[in-house]
Amino acid sequence: MRTSLSGLRPALAAFAIILYLNLVGFPLKFGSVAIWVFAAVLFLISFIVSRRAAASSPALILTKSLIIGLVPSLGLALLTYIFASMQASQITVQDVFAQILPPHTAALTGLTSEQVIAGESVVPGLFSLVLILTSAAVLGGGLSLLPYEKLKSLQGEKTQGFRSTLPLLIPLLLFAAYLSLRLPSVELFDSQENKFGLLLLYVFFGSSLYALRTIPQGRLKTAFLIVAVLATIAVPLLNDQLQNSVLGFVVVFIIMGIGLNIVVGFAGLLDLGYVAFFAVGAYSYGLLSSPTSWILVNVPGFEGISFWAGLPIAIVLGLMAGILLGVPVLRLRGDYLAIVTLGFGEIIRLILLNLREYTDGPSGVRGIPTPYLFGHDLGNPRDLLYLAMAFAAVVTFVALRLRDSRIGRSWVAMREDERVAQAMGINLVSTKLLAFAFGAVFASLSGTLYAVRQVNVFPDNFALDVSINVLALIIIGGIGSIEGVVIGAIALIGLPEILRSVNEYRVVAFGALLVAMMAFRPEGLLPSLRRKRELHVEETETLPRRKKVAK
Amino acid sequence: MAAILSIRNLTKRFGGLVAVNRLSLEVEELSIASLIGPNGAGKTTVFNCITGFYTPEEGSIVFQGREIQGRSPDRVTSQGIARTYQNIRLFANMTAIENILVGQHPLLKTGWLQAVLHTPGYHHEEEQSLAEALRLLEFVGLAKQGDALANSLAYAAQRRLEIARALASSPKIILLDEPTAGMSPKETADATGFIKRLRDELGITVLLIEHDMHVVMGISENITVLDYGSKIAEGKAKQIQNDPLVVEAYLGRGTASGLEKSEVGPEANSSAETKPKGRGR
Repeated sequence: MRTSLSGLRPALAAFAIILYLNLVGFPLKFGSVAIWVFAAVLFLISFIVSRRAAASSPALILTKSLIIGLVPSLGLALLTYIFASMQASQITVQDVFAQILPPHTAALTGLTSEQVIAGESVVPGLFSLVLILTSAAVLGGGLSLLPYEKLKSLQGEKTQGFRSTLPLLIPLLLFAAYLSLRLPSVELFDSQENKFGLLLLYVFFGSSLYALRTIPQGRLKTAFLIVAVLATIAVPLLNDQLQNSVLGFVVVFIIMGIGLNIVVGFAGLLDLGYVAFFAVGAYSYGLLSSPTSWILVNVPGFEGISFWAGLPIAIVLGLMAGILLGVPVLRLRGDYLAIVTLGFGEIIRLILLNLREYTDGPSGVRGIPTPYLFGHDLGNPRDLLYLAMAFAAVVTFVALRLRDSRIGRSWVAMREDERVAQAMGINLVSTKLLAFAFGAVFASLSGTLYAVRQVNVFPDNFALDVSINVLALIIIGGIGSIEGVVIGAIALIGLPEILRSVNEYRVVAFGALLVAMMAFRPEGLLPSLRRKRELHVEETETLPRRKKVAK
Repeated sequence: MAAILSIRNLTKRFGGLVAVNRLSLEVEELSIASLIGPNGAGKTTVFNCITGFYTPEEGSIVFQGREIQGRSPDRVTSQGIARTYQNIRLFANMTAIENILVGQHPLLKTGWLQAVLHTPGYHHEEEQSLAEALRLLEFVGLAKQGDALANSLAYAAQRRLEIARALASSPKIILLDEPTAGMSPKETADATGFIKRLRDELGITVLLIEHDMHVVMGISENITVLDYGSKIAEGKAKQIQNDPLVVEAYLGRGTASGLEKSEVGPEANSSAETKPKGRGR
């Protein structure tokens, strides 16, 4: 009874992941390849879960992996069947479903869209789907039974170095594969866009981050860091326009995420109106440079300012907005702070919307000029991505330096216990304002980059959901962790963006992912190490005891 | 010797409750003074008034010739007053060293720009403060646990770390709120010796709240007894032990008159007065 229950938990997590992949439109974009991606996911989950419980008997492990395979695959099959039946009996919930469902079902069942629409039975296809996914999970469980432990103990410390470098090789190999194959010629649905390349790129980013975290300080780490940086610099050259555009969007959110991470992750000040500073950045540069803006129309002889002149102004205005918000909320904490900042975010948006004479209201600011560098127009996705990456590098550098300094320590102390921090001589007013100021400046910077990228900005670009998205991405990535922001931005901004045609699903997918994350991995994907220990104290304490029992 | 800290007519009210009532108290420089009294007598409230957590309604607190009542806690700490808490309040998810580094905050000067640029001054200061943190860890006997998270340390070690964190700001006076609460007799004896070392080796004046009478009688030069927010007795250990008002406060009205003078010796007192040890305010 207990073992089947303990298999149920990872099974539900696996189901959540499969569901997420479905909701962001995997089957729609990758066709029947999606099934194999799902199979690989289940294989990995089952393998990892079984490896952790290595002491159990083979029968138990196989039962467990059977559950891990059956629950998500049956769930998926059931949902597909329901939707397919609805389709067959002409029930349409929403137009968008009518377009998406047939190819989605087709991809999962091995039929064609026409066959699905014609009402052909999906049962055989679903049967094979369940079979493939379940066998993948059982295979994962089975492979975990191989005697890896003996292998380790046989070779002992000699393989230590090799094993620690193994995670390095994975991203390097992937990157090499990405470079040599480029894989774009795989015909996908309706376009030849290099989506596999982009996916591989994500895997590369993810695993290089993982490698950086697992390797201790030393020459190896430095070497790898250099390779990772060089690779990152090379990526935009290899991508097509769409990929660079998507990545540019991701990087804008990374900058914003790092800023919010200072406010929420380090200083513990829950800010739900963070989008306000993003809007201030975008609108201050926009209004000072767009030919349609009130200032340019009404001030004779004023031709608008360049990006490089507008950026510092936008940053200073963002800083002022940060302090403007910071001062009144100094005494507020937790829930109250969240509500007040929420209001602040909405106020800025409503001002932009209703101050029509100056902001053009819902028509927004149009035709924002692109930046030039030494006479070279940066107004294409690749150069804009480079520009954003350069700023992201600076922002990351500043955030890391601050985190490790006296300022960073006082932020964390304030998050831990505000009164005691104050009794340690920390001036709460200046420390809080500094956190708000850095957050606002970074958001304002990313807002300016966003305006340049979008060319036209509208008040609706700065609605509450942007704040929520940024907060979600730092929570998913691991609150307080800078690497986590990168991963979170890729998972929550990048992945849905390349699968843009199913955009409407995103909100649902967000919800599902957040719930699953909070249930199974509350500290995020790449937590700051301190955070991780904080949230799993009980488990690390009980772990040695379990091992003893196993022996 | 001159008084480093003098409190005059301090009154603190919470609504209708008078938590501290016209208390006057002098702490001499380089002395170890104790504040005792039954649970709820207002001892911790006095500490909170001194350190700026509470603003008293009346009275003055003069530290080294300057009035400090009503100042914010961070400014009081910068003046040279450090404290610990009755229920340990470490930064639980920071390491022991980080806790001490935070404690050094008022001594460090570098701002965010220097931290971002890693100026030579910043490097120098960080190195120095780390060396100082290690020295303090050594002093409190936690040299090997510097990288442990504060909440993973043993109870007595957490008490010591809290003292080390308080010491990090180079205080002139340290206020210890029940430093031996919840400790075993062995640990209590260690802690008592340790408190003495604070004064003898580091030259820091100590004011402590304590329930364990062995500790109080053993190390304090001057004892002030509070009951219902008012001072009921003051003096050396011997005088306090024989004061009928003190006995009454601890054991209840009518007990003192029933006891012969000779019976109210150290033993009778210590056994009686260790009793109310607990989680009072």
